[in-house]
Amino acid sequence: MLNQVLQEIKSAQSALKLSDLSHKLGVERSALDGMIQFLVRKGRLRNDDEDLAAVTTICSPPSCGGSCTGMAVCPFVVKIPKTYSIPDQKSD
Amino acid sequence: MKTHERAYTQREDFTIDYGHEAEEEIVRLQEEINRHARIESQFPSRWLAIKLLEMDHEIQMHLRELEGGSELLAAAERSIAHLEKIYGDDADVIIADHRYGWINGLVHEAVKRTRPDRLTKSDKVDRVVTHRLLGIPIFLIAMWMVFKLTTDISAPYLDWVDGVISGPITNWIVSVLGVLGLDGSWVESLFVDGIVAGVGGVLVFVPVMMSLYLALAILEDSGYMARAAFVMDRLMHALGLHGKSFLPMLIGFGCTVPALYATRTLENEKDRILTGLLVPFMSCGARLPVYILFSAIFFPENASGVVFGLYLLGILTAIILGIVLNNTLFKNKKQSTFVMELPPYRLPTFRGIWFHMWERTSAFVRKAWTIIMATSIILWILMAIPVNKSGRFAEIDISDSAFAAANKVVSPVLAPLGFDSWEASSALFTGFVAKEVVVSTMVQVYTVEETEEEPGATTFFEDVGEIIISFIGATGNTIKSLPLIFGVNLFEEEGETELTDLMLVVRNDFEESSGGHGALASMAFMVFVLIYTPCMVAVAAEKQELGAKWMWFSIIGQFALAWLMAFVVFQGGILLGLG
Repeated sequence: MLNQVLQEIKSAQSALKLSDLSHKLGVERSALDGMIQFLVRKGRLRNDDEDLAAVTTICSPPSCGGSCTGMAVCPFVVKIPKTYSIPDQKSD
Repeated sequence: MKTHERAYTQREDFTIDYGHEAEEEIVRLQEEINRHARIESQFPSRWLAIKLLEMDHEIQMHLRELEGGSELLAAAERSIAHLEKIYGDDADVIIADHRYGWINGLVHEAVKRTRPDRLTKSDKVDRVVTHRLLGIPIFLIAMWMVFKLTTDISAPYLDWVDGVISGPITNWIVSVLGVLGLDGSWVESLFVDGIVAGVGGVLVFVPVMMSLYLALAILEDSGYMARAAFVMDRLMHALGLHGKSFLPMLIGFGCTVPALYATRTLENEKDRILTGLLVPFMSCGARLPVYILFSAIFFPENASGVVFGLYLLGILTAIILGIVLNNTLFKNKKQSTFVMELPPYRLPTFRGIWFHMWERTSAFVRKAWTIIMATSIILWILMAIPVNKSGRFAEIDISDSAFAAANKVVSPVLAPLGFDSWEASSALFTGFVAKEVVVSTMVQVYTVEETEEEPGATTFFEDVGEIIISFIGATGNTIKSLPLIFGVNLFEEEGETELTDLMLVVRNDFEESSGGHGALASMAFMVFVLIYTPCMVAVAAEKQELGAKWMWFSIIGQFALAWLMAFVVFQGGILLGLG
């Protein structure tokens, strides 16, 4: 099951929706969520949301600390959807 | 009761089959567990064997403290190594895989659906909104409506804020300075021609920004923004770019700085740098005041269409440049895919929309009081310094200032683009600080002939009353403007839109510098603003995220491309007889 999930993501031609993946594999959405979380814990999938959370934190003026470059002027951070990608595609 | 008993009995018998090899190792570990009475008495042996194969950290810690625990852990390690050799995967993954397989099988056997393919409401809407062919046109329509709302609906409030700042507020400041005996002094000039003109020139656009943020908050809170990312992502992928590139680009519509940081979501360095180079072409909110001002001057009948076109041009430029760079400097054959979790559609709440709109608008206002005010003061000082010794500080015509002289040296570079006046080039120059400064600089550098009435003609209370009455009038006009989004005009046909004094001066300057092709020159100017370096903070973010080399590549490349595209718009437009 877990390998099937990874295989579907790897072989997709473009981004997949979790709901489509759930339909395709014939898996309950809640079960698929559990599998995804397990794969993230195992490092087989990367939760990109964590990086985006970092962006939001960086862009929040009170958290500027001293390392960020004029973050007080960031007026707009769209909450973009949660994505999971295959981490071992890091290359070159 | 009987049902409960049966369920209990079944639970006692129930086991998940983890596959032949794993089951053999489980039995082997169970035998090992049974040899240690203390351990056996504490845990069910099968459960413990499975936990050992899963390398459960808490169990491992607990066993280390028990007699025989170390031997058991060593046996578990052997079993794990054996399984990993056979399956070529981690033992806990093998166990989880079988468990999920079993759960899936159980669900299929136990859950009978009356309508097997029943879709949720969100799924049904998604079938249309994220459709392979319909998705992009729907996204474009949504964007067009955003800009229609931004330009048409906010116009009455824009006029109202403009009237309040240039009228009562300026009069009050002049009166206060008069009471302090500073009327006619350089201090009055600093306040009126520097701070009020610069900051006020930007604050006038607060209603525009509020409208933009309102529209985007509705799209975001309803769940559509996520779909837009999904749809565009597919397009990017089809063009050979990294699909996830569009996520930072989406943020770039608001502000380039967080968008540059959002490139961190891309793991591959080449993808990250390439996306970082493309993100600045997404038209950030700060450029909107420039588009609104120029569209109102030169294209009053189709202002929203012009703004929409510029946003679209930014996306197209990024895509085309992305394809070029992807096939040259950033050759990367690897195409990575990902799964996206789309939130269900929701009806946006008033509170949520207000929160988003207020948060972003207040940031815009904060920027006006900090960066833009500082720039306006510096600009006023530079415009007060005479270029030759005959003039005195703050008592010269600004065209004789050191600032004007410096810009006159640079402005010929912009002559082929149709706007070579020192005023236009100075607005672009200071625009490097922040794009809102383009407009505030224009308000400061374009000299408007004073035709105003005596400031003391009205009392404070009369001014306040006028502000309230004009606000009610603006609200009424805004309500009347709403059907404009759908092309219905409730306003009586009027003649040519009335331009303010500043707008007339800008129009005359562009008409003059372009040899009568003002509209084309203004279009070239807007394209230049769209493409060249967003702001100094974005440059700093580029250095931090992409490195100094790519920062310089970006600055020089953007300037060269901005010049080239503005040149094509202006000269090409003349050749085609467009204006």
